[in-house]
Amino acid sequence: MGFADIDRSVIGREYDRLTYPPVTADELIAYARTLGVTDPIYLDEAAAKAGPYGGLIAFPTFVVKLRGGQHMPKEVQREMSVGGFDAGKDLELGVPIRPGDVITATSTITELYEKTGRSGSMWFVVFRQHLTNQNGETVANVDSRIMQRGRAEKGK
Amino acid sequence: MTVSTGATFETVEPGDDLPAITVELSRDYVRSHATELGMAFPRFTDDEGAKKEGLPGMIAPGNMTLALLARELLAWAPGGRVLRLGTTFRGLALAGTTITLLGTVTEKDDEKRTVECDVWMETPEGDRCVIGTATVALP
Repeated sequence: MGFADIDRSVIGREYDRLTYPPVTADELIAYARTLGVTDPIYLDEAAAKAGPYGGLIAFPTFVVKLRGGQHMPKEVQREMSVGGFDAGKDLELGVPIRPGDVITATSTITELYEKTGRSGSMWFVVFRQHLTNQNGETVANVDSRIMQRGRAEKGK
Repeated sequence: MTVSTGATFETVEPGDDLPAITVELSRDYVRSHATELGMAFPRFTDDEGAKKEGLPGMIAPGNMTLALLARELLAWAPGGRVLRLGTTFRGLALAGTTITLLGTVTEKDDEKRTVECDVWMETPEGDRCVIGTATVALP
């Protein structure tokens, strides 16, 4: 088995849906603080009240933490080896996350393709977490591109 | 080319550079943010663990380098909103090095009051280890 054998019906099928507990201000602040952000709208509830959002909001890339429950569908996961790595990430950002928001992450594979370069065959899997809040508003689409080098048949 | 901070839609033009920001990727900083991300894997937390995975030493997660590019954009335009950020992780952002965040304005949309930017992260050797494009709504 290999990537070429994965049934393409996996593309576009929802394989995971997770609703998180309400987001807390502490979570948002911890993310921004460990990243080294200094703007108070991401760090200080009192100062943020006077800011453009009228309260604390998540630093935009906080959404990468919300990766859902199951990382990938089983039929894709079993073809990944330890050597796979993060090749890139695309964010489309909607309404900001605020403390108290209840976020649902819905996961799908959007692309599965092979590229052949000088070092051989590489497979790319793009999976998307579509994040919505309790009002049904889109918070973000987070597309992650994972690269996996082609490997010899393992007789699975 | 001009370099500005506190960017507003009226003051920026295609060709403007975003201010360069240098960030020391100390091991403690990378470990702390990787842990916060729920990614406390050996390659992001200690040199020995990273070497066992064939890396020269511990590295910053892609999710951290992506966030640093967002920091670059919002340091330039503090009242702005990042609407889109697309990145490619081309090389390693090694812990223990000082990287530089850079960017330039490529387009301006008068109707939407947004700009397109190229943003990237450079290693001390000048290699662009992370490259990206972004759409930012400016105040």
